[in-house]
Parts: sequence; structure tokens; C-alpha cells
Amino acid sequence: MSTSLRLVIGNKNYSSWSMRPWVLARQAGIAFEEVQLKFDDAGRPRGIESYGVAGRVPVLLIDGNPVWDSLAICETLAERFPEKQLWPADRLARATARSICAEMHSGFQALRSSMNMNIRSRHPGKGRTPESLRDIERIVAIWTSCRERFGAGGPLLFGRFTIADAYYAPVVTRFQSYAVSLPATAHAYCDAVLSLGAVREWMEAARRETEFVAADEPYASR
Amino acid sequence: MLLVIGNKNYSSWSLRPWIAMKVLGLPFTEKRIALYRPGSKEEILSFSPAGKVPVLQDGSTVVWDSLAILEYLAERHPQLWPADAADRATARAVSAEMHSGFANLRQHMSMNVRKRYPGKGRTPEVLAEIARIDAIWAAARGPFLFGSFSAADAMYAPVVLRFRTYDVDVCPAYMKAMLALPAMKDWMAAAETEAESLAQFELYG
Repeated sequence: MSTSLRLVIGNKNYSSWSMRPWVLARQAGIAFEEVQLKFDDAGRPRGIESYGVAGRVPVLLIDGNPVWDSLAICETLAERFPEKQLWPADRLARATARSICAEMHSGFQALRSSMNMNIRSRHPGKGRTPESLRDIERIVAIWTSCRERFGAGGPLLFGRFTIADAYYAPVVTRFQSYAVSLPATAHAYCDAVLSLGAVREWMEAARRETEFVAADEPYASR
Repeated sequence: MLLVIGNKNYSSWSLRPWIAMKVLGLPFTEKRIALYRPGSKEEILSFSPAGKVPVLQDGSTVVWDSLAILEYLAERHPQLWPADAADRATARAVSAEMHSGFANLRQHMSMNVRKRYPGKGRTPEVLAEIARIDAIWAAARGPFLFGSFSAADAMYAPVVLRFRTYDVDVCPAYMKAMLALPAMKDWMAAAETEAESLAQFELYG
């Protein structure tokens, strides 16, 4: 009997946490049913009570059992689908991939708050604070180091597509929205992410969304 | 293996992999770097490009961030996660929720092992986060969250110490089980002997 997977997500334009497991599963060819909830003006997903125990998206329902939080969902998918090799196969590369994903998961608050994800909008130059610039500098250092150390087999952080790319995909869309200029290696990495089929599909759907969520629009008014 | 940590009195992130490694009985060398002093940042950067504690060095492999270290350890020591796949998924969910959330609790009830601040820090947002932790802990199998000690308990260990400091009465049986771990007692005893006092974490005198 096959496992049923349903992924509960928020607005594709705004929900960076939702984008991560969605892009991961779609790009890896893991079949799932999408359940989209829309955010209210405070950024709370309407109707989450019936799915999420933590009150946030994303939630992955495995045969009805909820797994919440993007990182836990990614780890659980990696475990359930070992043939998809969602983490790098090499132990050192995998340790590094987990480190940079965890760093993203608990860090970069300045980037998240002053350059929140907003795929369909363009706010060039906005959101630069000393703290967000430090976050950008660290992210560029992470990408450059991974490309140099582990990127020989392809254009992505560890060569081929892994959870790490799904994890940094929302950052790539932010750099596009806010027109962040990047050194060559980081720029080429962004291009590689933006050309992934699942990333394109997500972004096209985001551009078609019309809801305006005030909590996520510090640089625009309705 | 070498585990780089910060002050035991204050560094909640450091406690997480440290307690997991102690409970697993893994031999490791501990390197304590006193935080927020001249040269602290540079010394941490000499171990990890992220510039934060904790950091685990295993031969030529460097792993940073508490949750990544726990997953790294669990590859070799699978007993660190619950054996049942559904339990393991839930354990990862509550661990990840701790890892990226509870910002108000962290800010207003920062870890300070040797102090007692009963009643302090209870903003409405903090109380909502305490209620969420209560709900997670109330589902504990006993004595620990998923029966035997797991990475999820390591992730919540600093919360246990915060609730001790701020006298928050939540799931006393779970608190008692965690505080009775010999490794927790060792950590608390070491925190008591530390001389450094960091003003930014001495929130209430």
C-alpha cells in the first residue's frame, strides 16, 4: 500500500517556509497532494486549526499524521525516500549540508524581516540594514564555499539538487526581488536555482496570486 | 571528537548537543569559549565559518548548529531518535519547532542557570509560548518525551533550565526526569562555578 502525502502550504508569493518542502518534493519527483491555505492580514494561515498542531504552515500529512516545520518535513522525506538521495551521499558533504540548512532555519532574522519573500514584487535597494547586509555576506560565503568544495558534479551547492538548494531557494527569490548584486559564483548559483523546474513552477503560481497580505508588505500599500 | 561550547550558565544552544553526547556516553573533548569577550568571536571563527557555538569537530568534518550536530550524531547512533517512524517524524517536528521558534521565551526568559527569577518575563507572548510547550510536554510518554531520552529532549533541555530559573510550573514529572539526569546535574554544577557575568543576559538583576 502506498503512502498518502498531503502538503499544506500558504501563499506561494509570501510563504518561504512552504516553498522549501514543496520545491524539494516536486523537484525530486515525489508525488503529493497540495492543500493551499491563504494568509490573513496578520500572516496567519486561515483554516490551519484543522491540520497543524503548531498553527503554522507548512505541514506534511503522512497518511493523515501531521509533520510540521519545513526542516522536519525535509528530514522525514529524506528518510522515507532514500532512493531520491535528498541529502548529499558523502558524509562530510551531508554534514555541511545539514549545517547550512540548520543555520538558515534558525538564523538570518535580519534578512527575513527586512527582505521578506515577495516573489511577484520588485523593491530594488530596499531592506538594506547593517544586519541584513551581514546576513547577505554570510549567505554568499556559504554558497561560494559549497560551490568550491562540493559543487563539481553540477551547478548546485552540492553539484546535483539536494535539500540545501530547496532550503536556499527562497533566498534566491529575495535577492531577485530586492535586486541584490552578487559576486559571479553566487550569481551563477542563483541562475541555476531559478532554472529548476519546480522553482519556476512555484514562482509562476506566485505571480498569479492576487492576495495582498499587509504583514508581508512593508514597502507597499494596498 | 571535539565539541566547542559557550558559557554553561548562558549558552542554551551549547547544552543541546552536549547533553545528547553525554547521555549517549560518547567520549569527546570539550572546548569552552567564554562568549562576548575580546577575541571570543575570532576564536569561534577558527572552528566554524558560521561564527557561532556549538561546533562539533569529528576528524576533518566540521558540523555547526545544534540541530545539525544532533542529526549528524544520530546517523551513527540511531537511538538518538525514537525507533518508530511516526514517532521519529513527530520528534523531528517538535525539535525543529524549538529550533526556529519560541523567540519571546528566549528573549524574556534567557537561560541563566545560577539565577532565580520567579514570576519574571511573563509577557502575553511568552505565556502563549509556555502554553505551547506545555501541550508538547503533556504528550510525553514518560519519563522522557518519546519514552527513552531522544534528541527532542536535548532540544528542550534548556527550556527545563529556564523554567527552573523563572519558576514556571509545567509538567513537573518531565522537569524532574530531565533535572535528574546526571549530565544535567554536571552542567548545572559547572554553570555555578563560572565567573563570567554577561549583563545582556542578567535581565532581572
